[in-house]
Amino acid sequence: MIFAHGQLLPDSALPALLEGLEGEINETRETRTLTPETVIAALDTLGRRLASGELDELLRQYLPAGVDPAALLPLLSRESLEHKLRTELGEDPFAPREMARTTARLSPLGTLLHVAAGNMPGLPVYSVVEGLLTGNVNLLKLPRGDRGLSLAALKLLTDQAPELAPFVYAFDLPSTDQKTLARLAGLCDGVVTWGGEGAVSGVRALAPAGCKLIEWGHRLGFVYISGQPTEEELADLARHIITTGQHLCSSCQTIFLNGENWGAGEDFCRRFLPILEAAAAQNRPKWGGAQASLSGYTALLERIVDKKATNERLFSGKGCSLILRPDRELELSPMEGNVLVKLLPARDLLPTLRRQRGRLQTAGLLCPREEREKLTALLLRAGVTRVTRAGGLSEAFPGEAHDGEYPLRRYTRIVDVEK
Amino acid sequence: MDSRQALFWHTHIYDLPRSDGAFLAACRDNAAYHIAHCPDYAAICAHQGFAPEQLRTVEDLAKIPVIPTLFFKRRTLFSMPEERFAMKVTSSGTSGKFSQIGFDWGCILAEAPMVMRLGAWHGLVSPVPSHCVVLGYQPHKDNHTGVTRTMFGLTFFSPPLGRTYALKRQDGAYLPDLDSVAAALKKYARSPFPTRIVGFPSYLYFGLRRMEELGLRVRLRPGSRIILAGGWKQHYAQEVDKPTLYALAKRVLGVEEDHIHELFGAVEHPIFYNSCKNHHFHIPIYARVLIRDPDTLEPLPMGQVGLINLITPLMKATPTLSVMTDDLGCLMPGKTCGCGLKSPYLTILGRVGMADITTCAAGAAELLGIE
Repeated sequence: MIFAHGQLLPDSALPALLEGLEGEINETRETRTLTPETVIAALDTLGRRLASGELDELLRQYLPAGVDPAALLPLLSRESLEHKLRTELGEDPFAPREMARTTARLSPLGTLLHVAAGNMPGLPVYSVVEGLLTGNVNLLKLPRGDRGLSLAALKLLTDQAPELAPFVYAFDLPSTDQKTLARLAGLCDGVVTWGGEGAVSGVRALAPAGCKLIEWGHRLGFVYISGQPTEEELADLARHIITTGQHLCSSCQTIFLNGENWGAGEDFCRRFLPILEAAAAQNRPKWGGAQASLSGYTALLERIVDKKATNERLFSGKGCSLILRPDRELELSPMEGNVLVKLLPARDLLPTLRRQRGRLQTAGLLCPREEREKLTALLLRAGVTRVTRAGGLSEAFPGEAHDGEYPLRRYTRIVDVEK
Repeated sequence: MDSRQALFWHTHIYDLPRSDGAFLAACRDNAAYHIAHCPDYAAICAHQGFAPEQLRTVEDLAKIPVIPTLFFKRRTLFSMPEERFAMKVTSSGTSGKFSQIGFDWGCILAEAPMVMRLGAWHGLVSPVPSHCVVLGYQPHKDNHTGVTRTMFGLTFFSPPLGRTYALKRQDGAYLPDLDSVAAALKKYARSPFPTRIVGFPSYLYFGLRRMEELGLRVRLRPGSRIILAGGWKQHYAQEVDKPTLYALAKRVLGVEEDHIHELFGAVEHPIFYNSCKNHHFHIPIYARVLIRDPDTLEPLPMGQVGLINLITPLMKATPTLSVMTDDLGCLMPGKTCGCGLKSPYLTILGRVGMADITTCAAGAAELLGIE
């Protein structure tokens, strides 16, 4: 399916659409201006319709199990959108600013191509919303496996505010269609990529020279524990691990324990495993553990074949596992509730994490109150950009930056006109 | 004769207790072969404390290290040099990744009696020539998928008069062409020879629906059969219940339910499972099936739902002795079927929701098809 002109179109409409796309976008950019108010008003109304339960039926069709639409509500409110604009772009961002000899003004970058990842439902649409808030024309390449949520959401949005329609296009292109992607990228001033190093370099190859590359890629979340966390903290952490399936950039892949004592590592695993099991039993559908077991077991076989399984200790639970490993590297876990546990004394934290500098983002910190300030500073100095509590690794906080940057700033440019 | 050939040339194809001894012997030899020739497999066996001598009774089969098909998608394991392969086949890779499985000549030799005996038992073998319609891929030298090979092979159970393909190869890509299939079926209905339709159930369903929409109904010659293989793949969400499909086939093509055969198998486990008249997959002597607890991977008793563990000593080129698919299913006692076969039957309930693991960290490269 394709989304264009506020309508869902069959894939067969693609050639004709591509033929006229450059002309259409040029006309939009020449004759229309999108104000943040239009976008905010539309999203705020949609948010209220969502809260009223009017859209429940529709959402149930598209939202994966375990995703609560209520979690989206705070992001859609006028208050939070206006706060986002103010935080990222300053007060009254699109007003002209008088300089000595010029007038400066914030302008949209122009046309953005969003190449979205499929690990978080709603993310493709959110990326487009950020593009709209900054007044850009948005072309969205849907992730593989998007089962219609993005298209349905875009349709709702443009039905709510038809004046948004000329600014939104979405394409469900087969992953192999590099020719069309290159053609779309050729129309754009910026390409926004969500994904790993491969995706990022793939998109770089597609974007024409001079096209701005905005890359939100490949991050590994982790948790740092110093001292003995409370039962409640561990329960929050377990719920986070199970409900995100460890699929998100911010999800916990590795739990680091402050210390060097292997026995303490084993004690932690023995304490945490039943808590993780309980979270798995509570938050998964029937037979939902199959995914976890297959993923954890397959990863074990890979470690055996790679001769990495000999010095580790595996704590297997029902539909989850903890893998206590002798090394200190931050790395991707087998996911689905299979978590790596490693020993990392605070004095070695910075040099160890620096080796993963491009991949740092979120750290959950569980520690006694008196250590919190010092350990937070250490994590930030190591390159982490978000430090959260035990359960909040993947929560969206109002006004927060993304990977250390304000996305809206990257979707705009500043223009100067001599007086 | 070696233990594998002894098992596969056995005559009582559904008498599991009678073949237990031969099956265990073949499994012991197969495990020993892979341990001696595939260092990675040997490492897995050593890690799990498994040695072939432990296989004394059928209960011991659960001790064979089970390898998920997911693992074969990430690592390639071979137990002989590739130049000794009869062929190399890839799984169809619904989720974008595929596994590579080698087939040795002894495996092909063992498959022949299995396929002919089971084909004859289930009424697939006929000397009467027939028209073939393949609701699947047209073979091509660049297509190494097992399902393409299987469907092509299935057209030989009766002398084929010709083949019409629903997925035709054009300019290096496959394009569906259900309309020309409908036209061919109309033509074949007027021929004196029966027709055989081989293909994906999803294509049969969509094809029949399309014909019904167009008001096309034909009466294929008596003796015409429909042979379904390959699963529903990406059309899981639109899966229809079997009775709806059978009723549709009868309405649109005039093919009775007892002339619709379903097959099950996998590239990693190429055993020729045939549906009985009650559409159940009974386990033939060439394989044993275990159901494992989704949470712990421990074997479950008969009748419970879990991950499907398929065991066969068929292959020597790749250590596929004991594999686990990412499907959930259950095993039922043969006598509850009512078709007369005593061997237990396997019901596949659906895929574990892990087909599309796409993560930030694992990279969105595959979203773009960039490896």
